[in-house]
Amino acid sequence: MSQKEPPGGIFGLSYDRETGLFEALKLVSTAIIVLVGAWPIYWMTQLAFTEYGTVENRITVFPTPDIFTLNNFTVITEPEMYTYMFNTVVVAIGTIVTVVIVSLLAGYGLARLQFPQKENFARILLIGYLFSPIVIGIPLYQIWRSIGLLGTRVGLIIALSAVSMPFAVWLMWKYIMTIPEAHEEAAWVDGASRWRGFRDVVVPQCRPAIIAAALFAFALAWNDFTFAQILLPQTDTTTFAPGILRAMGQAQFLPDAYLMAISLAMTLPPLLFAYFMQSYLLKGFQVRAL
Amino acid sequence: MASETGESIRPRGAYIPWDHLPVERETVAGVATVLPVVVLYVLIAVFPIAFAFWASLHNIHTLNPEWKWVGLENYREVMNIATFWGSLWRGIVYMVGSTLIQLVVGLWMALVLNRITRGQKLLTAVVFTAYLIPTIIVSLVALRVFDPPGGVFQMMGAEWFNLWSSQTAPLGSRGWAMRLLILIGSWKFAVFVTIFTLAQLRAIPDRFYEAAKICGANRWQMFRDITLPRLMGIVLVVVLLRSIFMFNKFDIIWQLTQGGPGNATTTLPVLAYKTVYTDQAYGLANAIAVVMFLFLLASAVVYFKIFNPSEEVETTT
Repeated sequence: MSQKEPPGGIFGLSYDRETGLFEALKLVSTAIIVLVGAWPIYWMTQLAFTEYGTVENRITVFPTPDIFTLNNFTVITEPEMYTYMFNTVVVAIGTIVTVVIVSLLAGYGLARLQFPQKENFARILLIGYLFSPIVIGIPLYQIWRSIGLLGTRVGLIIALSAVSMPFAVWLMWKYIMTIPEAHEEAAWVDGASRWRGFRDVVVPQCRPAIIAAALFAFALAWNDFTFAQILLPQTDTTTFAPGILRAMGQAQFLPDAYLMAISLAMTLPPLLFAYFMQSYLLKGFQVRAL
Repeated sequence: MASETGESIRPRGAYIPWDHLPVERETVAGVATVLPVVVLYVLIAVFPIAFAFWASLHNIHTLNPEWKWVGLENYREVMNIATFWGSLWRGIVYMVGSTLIQLVVGLWMALVLNRITRGQKLLTAVVFTAYLIPTIIVSLVALRVFDPPGGVFQMMGAEWFNLWSSQTAPLGSRGWAMRLLILIGSWKFAVFVTIFTLAQLRAIPDRFYEAAKICGANRWQMFRDITLPRLMGIVLVVVLLRSIFMFNKFDIIWQLTQGGPGNATTTLPVLAYKTVYTDQAYGLANAIAVVMFLFLLASAVVYFKIFNPSEEVETTT
């Protein structure tokens, strides 16, 4: 087939026209994504830097010098808000650590060790997702109360870890399957135990899957409203989402500009996470099917 | 490979006292690795679900610990609640509507993000952030921009497109509340689809496209014959997960409308929550929960029967 006379592109267009059309579509799409994706974040940011008296009364597009202020961010240092944010960070870190450790172990077991019913086991785990968090949360309130975990951060960490686990285990399992077992066998020949092989050969290669599982757990913990609302009834251990909703209910006046400032503070960690971890993250999610 | 050298190469662990049990050492180790998962799973899923089922057979006032056995009475009552069928229907509308939008938008975003050359990393990060920021923040921003005084979307809808009068809050209007809930939820969760499909797209080797180009395929043919088959497996899984998650969604609906106005956005999870805390009927709420679960279970089984998402495994090269 001659390179100079390629057959037609889409709708019988020539290749050059097709490429041109494609580039144009791509440009328009990018513009729409920027607009739709970045716009709410931009809007939140500009409101956060605008004096709250202005925010309440008219629509602002950009915090010009006469209405620019940093005062909105003082709300972050208020003891109540600071506690909420601190608790969220503790819960998120606790959840990530638990999920990664547990799912690494289980993923390795499922991928490398033979034991009865293991495929069915993994499938049954996923059935847990059919139950709404609200449905699990209400009975859990009673269970946590009777074993003394109600109102503790540990209780919430356990609940959130368990919820993100089926998915993380599944991810880790499929990922470890893609690592050739020969790598471990090489270590075994050199006299390493199974545990050393796992620790020194498998775990370092699992970095993308670890980051993907961590991100999933982070999103869940950072997002969670339902469990925290039910399982952390006291103010001093509660996390951001139910905390801010309660604060809005109690305070007569919690200006929108303050809410946007504190929202911006809660948005920065995910943004940084997404920026610096994305290549690992995408590699970790390259597993296919259930 | 492993089969040639057989089991002999596998290291024997340290001596453990139960070694002489009639089970393989590997089985013991295998079960041990999943034990933490099992413990957590029993604690968070099996117990609460059993508890919910047991509670659904009783008449329980939420604030009163006295349980009165009523058998299947609650289930009969669930079917007779005036709002039950409406809530189920609204839940299905919300699930199907938002899953479809998320699938289309998510796929489209992934395809674009995979192809752009400048600012790719930054734009990907911005898009991913939508999925990672707390739902409550999405709700706060949405409430803000759809609020009549000073809300920019409210203003645009009223003055540019004449969708509503300048005095109405669209999230509080019967006609708009559900549509906006679907759109706002889709804004956040379409990214879930994007993450998975983008990961799959990155895994397709460039040489496939180069080969297709040499053979004279156009872009549509390349998409249809290379890209789409590689995406099918993960798309089936993602659609299943997203439908389940959207059907069970409680937080974003509660934060934005609390099921209102009237019952216009009351889906089953919201109905269950209201039944516990407003009607104080704990047993009845659990019956609703069990019905929800059965509904999802039946749908998932049908989905598996039709599409079989586990078919596609292990074709990665």
